[in-house]
Amino acid sequence: MKAVFLLQWRRFYRKPLLVVTMFGLTVIFVSVSAAGNQGGPQAVPLYADQSLTEREANDWLERLNDDDRFAFELMPESRARTLVADGNVGHAVKLLTTDYRLLVGREDPNRFVLDSYLRRTYSEELSLQRAEQAVPGIREQVESSRDNPPLTLTVTSRQGEEDSFQYNGELQLLFGMTLFFVIYTIMFSLVRIVDEKRTGTWSRMIISPVRKWQIYLGHLGYSFLVGFSQITLIFLLFRFAFGFDLGDHFWLLIAIAACYTFSIVALGLLIISLVTKPQQLGAVIPIIATGMAMVGGAFWPIELVSNEILLAIAKVLPITYGIEALTTVAVYGEGVEAILLQLAVLIGFGAICMVIGIRLLEWRSAS
Amino acid sequence: MLDTDKLTKKFKDTVAVDNVTISLRQGESVGLLGPNGAGKSTAIAMISTLMKPTSGDVRLHGKSVLKNNGAMRAILVVVPQKIALYEELSAYENLKFFGRIYGLTGKKLEGQIQYVLELVGLSDRQKELVKNYSGGMQRRVNLAAAMMHEPEVLIMDEPTVGIDPQSRNHLLETIRKLNREQGMTVLYTSHYMEEVEKLCDRVYIMDHGKVIASGTKEELKGILSEEETVWIEFDKSYPKLFEKLGQIEGIQHAVTDEHSLKLIIPKGARVLGTLFHEAERYGAQIINVNVQTPTLEDVFLRLTGRKLRD
Ligand SMILES: Nc1ncnc2c1ncn2[C@@H]1O[C@H](COP(=O)(O)OP(=O)(O)O)[C@@H](O)[C@H]1O
Ligand SMILES: [Mg+2]
Repeated sequence: MKAVFLLQWRRFYRKPLLVVTMFGLTVIFVSVSAAGNQGGPQAVPLYADQSLTEREANDWLERLNDDDRFAFELMPESRARTLVADGNVGHAVKLLTTDYRLLVGREDPNRFVLDSYLRRTYSEELSLQRAEQAVPGIREQVESSRDNPPLTLTVTSRQGEEDSFQYNGELQLLFGMTLFFVIYTIMFSLVRIVDEKRTGTWSRMIISPVRKWQIYLGHLGYSFLVGFSQITLIFLLFRFAFGFDLGDHFWLLIAIAACYTFSIVALGLLIISLVTKPQQLGAVIPIIATGMAMVGGAFWPIELVSNEILLAIAKVLPITYGIEALTTVAVYGEGVEAILLQLAVLIGFGAICMVIGIRLLEWRSAS
Repeated sequence: MLDTDKLTKKFKDTVAVDNVTISLRQGESVGLLGPNGAGKSTAIAMISTLMKPTSGDVRLHGKSVLKNNGAMRAILVVVPQKIALYEELSAYENLKFFGRIYGLTGKKLEGQIQYVLELVGLSDRQKELVKNYSGGMQRRVNLAAAMMHEPEVLIMDEPTVGIDPQSRNHLLETIRKLNREQGMTVLYTSHYMEEVEKLCDRVYIMDHGKVIASGTKEELKGILSEEETVWIEFDKSYPKLFEKLGQIEGIQHAVTDEHSLKLIIPKGARVLGTLFHEAERYGAQIINVNVQTPTLEDVFLRLTGRKLRD
């Protein structure tokens, strides 16, 4: 097994291009897009319903502009609509007395962020107003104690609960791209098994004293380690060199990466047991990688997907659970208890794929 | 030391190997001769424990290796028909790997690598990548990789297909040396009878999955002791004439090859007169006539009515 495993690293040393490319693409995509996203606050046109006075509308404007992610600007409805229609901005907001309407020109992650922000601000503001009617002067009290809190209370909310969607574009991008590109690295290193069977080096090993399970283990061990190292290095790079905030449970992220890598290695094995021609694999692997990434939430948050069929498919894809687990830990700051289900799914999925994959491969070579 | 007993392999609709019983004695060099598709590679796959037979047995020193293949795998090696190497690695790196899977390490491994490189004459180019080698050099590394653990039994599956004459001679010379000087037992598969004649003490001839003849070269040629081979070359091809000549009484087998015709006739049969007469009638010009002692190729022709190569 050791000989087979070491050989794979030797081959990597002689032909590192694929892995280096996948690593490089991840870094480039994430860093370039992250830099692009940091172009200051997002401009959002604001217009008011007739039911609001100008003062009320201005109060809302001021209140909403508290958050520096957004730059709301009050304007006539016609102008706001034109801006959205021309695609200059993605969304505009219409103010009602106790509610708002979102004018959506573009479906993108920002819509969610905006919507979630508005909802929170509105419910806060409205409860304050209600309280003020009962206890005049409470607003001042609240505002002063907000600046000097008598005690701090941290509220952690779980992902998936109404109203609690937090969107961190940077991390979404990092996790999505990392888990997407590593699929290529892993699966194309498994294609070596197919290649060995074709060129005859596989037969050479079989008729040597090395046992078959040792050969498989050497290959799978390499594919696992090369994929796992890629993810780990990228996380380290972005945390320490690019200063991304990956939360307080970095080791948990690494553990998730290991489970995810295992599931992809196993899935890769299943794929090469079904598709046995190297040329076909060259086409099948990108389709599977891209398909999984799109449906599983690597390119945009899965919260954006509303099609039930796609959501059902996403439920059986390892990448969905990988991203979910990473986000839960890094964005929501949860510990290991919150992601046990995801980890179990990844490992279970992997185990099933691996058993079927090896059976199929062996059955094929026996007949 | 190594025997097969009624070895048989059936694929869906073909019987690739059909009741093949052969044996190798220690230190012997045995040829397995047969045209493409005869079942040679399949037989080798079963002997080397790569493939399970449909029926029959393979024995090493009298013990079946079907259930317990460890003993066979430790002492036998196959040089595959295709080049089976990691072509993005150097010759040295390939040999290192194949040595390791046979359990060699450290100084022993290094020493063996240098020894086999010397053997195949590639010491000075060991650091080059296999993919940059010529076909002949790749074949030599292919052999070298099999020599890493000094096997007792060496099986070669058509090792000279598609290589230049120089590499071919070098390869044959190497195998002869291993057999004669080191007492390695060799099973040499080929559809080139010259190679088998040159290299092997005993020969099995296979066709359509069956062994159709076996014995020493002399024994096999004895099949033709009552016969002669007549080879006639014409200035060009005369299909009608060739057909007619094949039907002359007394001629046992006839095969054409572009401008020439090969006939197997009983010794002393007086067919040449008729032959020249017919040629005259067709206006064909004879360039060369040759009466030969039989080769293994002729034995095959005699046994199957076909040529070894097509
Ligand atoms: N894996 C296989 N599946 C089906 N038929 C096969 C397989 N391997 C070989 N054969 C058939 O068995 C016969 C013998 O093949 P082979 O042993 O390769 O002959 P040789 O090595 O003498 O050229 C051929 O007819 C070939 O088509
Ligand atoms: Mg063959």
